[in-house]
Amino acid sequence: MRMIVPFLLLVLLPALPAAARTKLVALPERETTVVRLDNPAATLVEEERVLPLEAGLNQVDFAWQGVQIDPDSIRLTFLDPSAQVQLLSVAYPPGEAALVWTLRATRAGEVRTRITYLLAALDRLVTYQAVADREESHLDLQAFLVLRNFSGEDFASAGFQLGQGKPATGSLAHEETRQQALFAAKGVPVVKTLTWDAALQPWEPKREGLTAGIPVHYRIANTSAASLGQAPLWGGKVRVFQGDGHGGTIFLGEDQAEFTAVGEELKIYVGDSRDVAVTQQKLRDEVVNPRPSRSRMVLYDTEEELAATVENFKKRAVTLDLVEHIAGEWVVGKVSHPFERRDAGTLVVHVPLAAGATEQVKIQYQRRNVRN
Amino acid sequence: MMTRPLCLLTLSCVLCLMAAPAFAKIDLVTLPGRDGVQLTIYNSADLTLVRDTRTLTLKRGTNRLQFSWVGTLIDPTSLEMQPLARAGETLIDSLSYPPRTTGLGVWSLSAPAAGPAPFQISYFTSGISWQAYYLATLSNDEGHLRLEGYVRLNNRSGEDYPQAVTRLVVGKIHLIDSIAELARRRVPYGRPGGEPPPTPAPRLSGVRLEADASVAKAVFQLAPKEIVKEGLSEYFLYTIEGTEDISDGWGKRLISFTAPRVPVQNLYRFEEERYGSLPVRFLSFANDAAHQLGREPLPGGLVKVFRSLDGDGHLSYLGAEEVRYVPKGDEVALNLGPALDVTVQPTLLEVQTDGYEWRNEQITGWDEVQEVRIVAANHREVPAKVEIRRSFPVTSWELKNSGNAGTFSTIDKNTVQYMLELAPGARQSFSYRVTLHHGSRAR
Repeated sequence: MRMIVPFLLLVLLPALPAAARTKLVALPERETTVVRLDNPAATLVEEERVLPLEAGLNQVDFAWQGVQIDPDSIRLTFLDPSAQVQLLSVAYPPGEAALVWTLRATRAGEVRTRITYLLAALDRLVTYQAVADREESHLDLQAFLVLRNFSGEDFASAGFQLGQGKPATGSLAHEETRQQALFAAKGVPVVKTLTWDAALQPWEPKREGLTAGIPVHYRIANTSAASLGQAPLWGGKVRVFQGDGHGGTIFLGEDQAEFTAVGEELKIYVGDSRDVAVTQQKLRDEVVNPRPSRSRMVLYDTEEELAATVENFKKRAVTLDLVEHIAGEWVVGKVSHPFERRDAGTLVVHVPLAAGATEQVKIQYQRRNVRN
Repeated sequence: MMTRPLCLLTLSCVLCLMAAPAFAKIDLVTLPGRDGVQLTIYNSADLTLVRDTRTLTLKRGTNRLQFSWVGTLIDPTSLEMQPLARAGETLIDSLSYPPRTTGLGVWSLSAPAAGPAPFQISYFTSGISWQAYYLATLSNDEGHLRLEGYVRLNNRSGEDYPQAVTRLVVGKIHLIDSIAELARRRVPYGRPGGEPPPTPAPRLSGVRLEADASVAKAVFQLAPKEIVKEGLSEYFLYTIEGTEDISDGWGKRLISFTAPRVPVQNLYRFEEERYGSLPVRFLSFANDAAHQLGREPLPGGLVKVFRSLDGDGHLSYLGAEEVRYVPKGDEVALNLGPALDVTVQPTLLEVQTDGYEWRNEQITGWDEVQEVRIVAANHREVPAKVEIRRSFPVTSWELKNSGNAGTFSTIDKNTVQYMLELAPGARQSFSYRVTLHHGSRAR
């Protein structure tokens, strides 16, 4: 099925009908090929070839049988500004995956050209491997470029360009997948956070006989201060390991990293902690300020109180974020721990936990103008 | 019988003359065996991290190394090779999955000198699992428990791992793709635009029942091995002493710990909304030093509870429960199911309504007064602690207890709790009068 993109040079004196085209074997090899992978949805191939042209009309036949080229994306550029060559027409022969460029050259000679086209079924993935230190304060981050070529075309030698920087070079055959190192950064600072979300986690896991894991995230800044920040971090699978203190590692978990621009923060969901437990109850939910009267109430406020017991069974101190969702209009009352109002419906309470400590968290708030 | 050399993983070293194209045929030069292997087996996912150490004979310059895993359940996207010597000079250039092959990868690497060089090859495989389970024997007076923890290893990965350093990981891991699914892909990273359906899992059918024979062998022929336990991040790592033969198709049982005399408390919980009309018996203890435990978290697993009947070692079976993961210092409450010999009988003695409020000839609120009597009885020959929870349908209420209501507490906005201590054969009753404020009567 696979056919190398052939490049036929045909010197044409009178114009011949397409069905009777004579393909002369004058196959200039690719001199340089760059496969641009910046756009995750489309791959752009740029290949440079030197065409030996005759003075007068030349027909150049470009065929891609079995190769998934977008015909409407093919462009021909003359790289030598002094070359007296003019592109007169582009024709698509019937029933073929091919096109014919008609060129007029004022003199015979070699002309350097660049052919550009979009190629389907060749793409890339970016994957990461992070190895955290035992304290989980820093990690070594390694990125890999995974090239997947099912386009029908072999690339014996090409540069594979992802964004800025030096392209990865090498061969890539049809139906080949290849993994190459992209970059490595050592000693990247990492912040580990635990988040308990009242809308996602059970409130009384022990009573329900559940092992309720609390999601653990690693946060990494894509900045030069964090040994990164040279380029955006492309989205891709991150596998996180941790040094085990015996010269090896254990696998902590994996996540799909989002595209992270320079200066932004990458948040990786690693796994769940089961050594921190949260038990939450609603202690109070009272109607106050009924309007116009208690017996004819159409509008009222509420006084509500949440109580959470947070237990840290670990030997290390951790900080837990308690995320509470409160609907409608509300004002925060007394809260036992530092908090932030993240948005109109979310209150986040930061609970620092010493090793082996238990914290009692109280959250009082008032909902306003609730309609009956 | 024990060792079945599948030889499914092969590694071959190929000298590459300068720049051969990736899709050229590769000739095998050497086939080094394993120097050692380490398995890190997870219990919350079908995942094992394998670290394989091999000594390869390299040529100076570019070398190509072929690794194949046909018939196994290896995730090819997890393959990694690391030099264990001269790490800064030996460069791993790329890993290629050649076209029109399955279960094959080719590393390209640059070596600074010719000669033998140790490498570590790591990858994920599915098909190896472990589970924890427990056997608990309650003393005749029901005051203590003998608790034995075991782990059961099973290998259905398609590959033998002889003399493997084996580590077991307790913890809940986050995975995007299942390793078994990745292992069955026709193309390691899939195809652009989507992946055709994976090939059927190899060799997963026909699980051999004679695996139990190896369990017996492990238990009765080998001395119990020590298991070293340590915490790491959000996980707990069990490292089994020495090495183990983890052969494909076989299982293995290892004892994790024995706690001969764990003080336990019998608790009968009565909560109609959660458990129905019968009290449910719980056996509770803490995973701490005071209970002869607390050296490590207890991984989740099935606990089978027996009761010692007499001095001759006769037992009765009380029940089994899948226990959740128990961190160090936390409490365990084993649910042994509904109890018939400890009873709690609530009786609604009287209902009155009052305080009606109106709007447009419609009732907007009222008070409801309920008089309830609770009778708890212990028909057993051992003391029983009984926890009774009562929930109210509204959040605005007032309560007044009478009689011997034990220890009373408010749990949340519509739940209260009574804790009774009943001697053998004892019966205890109390009453409560609750006023429920409905609708506009809510305060």
